[in-house]
Amino acid sequence: MFMKSRSRCSGSFLKTPVIACLVLFLTASLGARAELLIRITEGAGSAIPIAVVPFAESGSMPAGDKVGSIVQADLTMSGEFRPLEPSKMLSLPSERSEVYFRDWRMLGQRYVLVGQLTRNGDRIQARYELFDVNQEKRILGETAAVPASNLRSLGHHISDRVYEAITGAPGVFSTKLAYITVSGEGEQTRYRLQVSDVDGKRSKVRLESREPILSPAWSPDGKKLAYVSFETGKPVIFVHELATGERQKVADFPGLNSAPAWSTDGRSLLMTLSRDGNAEIYRMDLASRNLTRLTDHWAIDTEAAWDHADRGIYFTSDRSGGPQLYHMERPGAEPRRITFGSRYNARPRPSPTGDYVYYVHQRDSAFHIARTNLETGEETVITRTGSDESPSVAPNGRLLIYATRQNGEGVLTVVSADGGAAYSLPASEGEVREPAWGPVTR
Amino acid sequence: MKGHKRDIVSTGKAPLKSPVAVSVGLHLLVFGIALAGWSWNTPPEPEPRSISARLISPEPRPTPVVEEQDEADKEQERKQAQAREQEEAERQRQAEEKARQEAERKAQEEARRREEERRQQEAQAKELAEKQAREREAARQKAEAEAKERERQKAEEERKRQEEAKRRAEEEKRRQEEQRKKEEAERQRREEEARKEAERKRLEAERRLREQQLEALADQARQEREAEARRQQEAAAARAREAQMQSESDKYQALIRERLKQAWYPPSSANENMTARLQITLLPTGELASVKLVGSSGNTAFDNSALSAVRSLNRYPIPDNRDTFERYFRQFMIEFNPQRLR
Repeated sequence: MFMKSRSRCSGSFLKTPVIACLVLFLTASLGARAELLIRITEGAGSAIPIAVVPFAESGSMPAGDKVGSIVQADLTMSGEFRPLEPSKMLSLPSERSEVYFRDWRMLGQRYVLVGQLTRNGDRIQARYELFDVNQEKRILGETAAVPASNLRSLGHHISDRVYEAITGAPGVFSTKLAYITVSGEGEQTRYRLQVSDVDGKRSKVRLESREPILSPAWSPDGKKLAYVSFETGKPVIFVHELATGERQKVADFPGLNSAPAWSTDGRSLLMTLSRDGNAEIYRMDLASRNLTRLTDHWAIDTEAAWDHADRGIYFTSDRSGGPQLYHMERPGAEPRRITFGSRYNARPRPSPTGDYVYYVHQRDSAFHIARTNLETGEETVITRTGSDESPSVAPNGRLLIYATRQNGEGVLTVVSADGGAAYSLPASEGEVREPAWGPVTR
Repeated sequence: MKGHKRDIVSTGKAPLKSPVAVSVGLHLLVFGIALAGWSWNTPPEPEPRSISARLISPEPRPTPVVEEQDEADKEQERKQAQAREQEEAERQRQAEEKARQEAERKAQEEARRREEERRQQEAQAKELAEKQAREREAARQKAEAEAKERERQKAEEERKRQEEAKRRAEEEKRRQEEQRKKEEAERQRREEEARKEAERKRLEAERRLREQQLEALADQARQEREAEARRQQEAAAARAREAQMQSESDKYQALIRERLKQAWYPPSSANENMTARLQITLLPTGELASVKLVGSSGNTAFDNSALSAVRSLNRYPIPDNRDTFERYFRQFMIEFNPQRLR
């Protein structure tokens, strides 16, 4: 009996301090848990320092640009990287054991790319590793092999892999550009449809004509180009198979046939036709060649592009008295005007992620490329040049190519989608215009 | 004399014929004896000696008293008397001349008178002798008296001396008494003074004590005030320190944020929904002790960009104040969450 009461007593005595202790502990831990939290909501806003160490080579290599140089140029063009000049490197490692992070850290580098190329018959094998200098960690290590003649592709491939490893977004360095060059005068004038690497290298003429060629558009698989050719004396839409050079006349209606744009499934084309008297937007099913009229207005409606979900379209219309951008949420829906900032806004190109639309924008008698945030309606001019036209967004949405004039000649310029870094492609002969950025193909 | 009286008394015891007469007689006798004794006993009143000096006059007027007095005086008297007798004799001789008839006439008478005179002289001589005897007796008595007197005087002197001594003693005593009293008074005065001094000292001490107490109270109050002020100051200082720490923390947070912002390259694939949360542990030097990805963004490139940014700082800007460091920067969280994308 005594023991019982005692144990109960001690039990109740024990509980109180325990609870008190718990409470105290909780309070204390609550106090202690009020840990400092620093939120970083903004980045450097400048390019990432990266050291692309010239690759070690064993065996004979083809003449021309080195892989390392190609990668450097690619990364530089992206506007997101600031490669270190090889002359400033303290060492030229080609594998992990040779990498002294302290040195690279001292040089302010965030990443180091090292690799070696080995000639293996008519192929060249690359082995490359990417290190995070601060974390002293390898974040990429791969091998790749290409024909000896295709070293540039290897370089672009490595650039893509590096870009993706660091940014988390697919690189676009292996994609292609299509554009039109104009050379000669009078009778000698030649219009050429060309395709090149994104750095402008390895350009190939796909079509040459005495008559203008306009509005090249890449099929989603990157195998075909649709464009407008005046070769027949009037604008006609062709679809051109790049691998074979085979061409199809897909729209040759009376009047205007222009501004082709592929659907993401590659099965249909948007186009502007005036066959019904006024320029309207139609969708053509490529297999059946059936047309669906999407707009019906007395004003001009043209330059259509699918929105990123392929549900609705953006287009240019002068129904307000001047060219402005409109969005039709779905075929047949009432178009909604998007741009209000100036008298001239045309040639809409939505970003692949659907958050921006890029277009030609006139301001103070100059033409710029601008973008509008589709969520907020905020408009930003992203080019500093003055006679800008034909914007085309890279498939990752990070870059934009457009045509502009430099020293009286038309050139192509790649710019960060946010208007940061600009990178002019080397001019080929004559004038360059109407660029189209090809899709990512695997 | 007592014996005499006793004798009488003893005779009184004899058988009485007339008690009254006896008594009267006895009384008379006693009275008489007493009278005789009185007069006997009464010492002859000495003539003041100075009288003779005062009574110097050209006319000699010898007085028995004078003669009685002193041999030298008597000699003087005698000489003077001789001189006077000579002068008298001269005068007498001159007068005798004139008066010899008278003398002759009176011779018989003279003879008779001379006889008479001789007799008288004899009587006188006898009387003189008697007188001289008496005088001797008187002188003796006088000497005796004088001796007595001297005795008396001596006694008197002794008495006086004693009295004097006594007086002196008394005087001394009185003086001593006075002295004592004086000393006593002095002592009392001193005591009084001492007492007063003591009192004064006591009062002074009390005053001082009171003052000290007051001072102590004031001191205590002052100390309390000071302590309170100090407490408040300390509290204020603590608050200030807290605020300081807070502001220091804010300052260094801002510095760290800025440094990380410069160090962070948010990947292209980043979007506003991505958040990488990292727990940072720093060394007191500001160097990174460790970093832990406690919340992944779900995007490896994004997580890496955050980790790389955090690791890219050689030294974190941290406050010099160790408390602030320990409190805020020993371990903290960094959240990478892009708000402004390109």
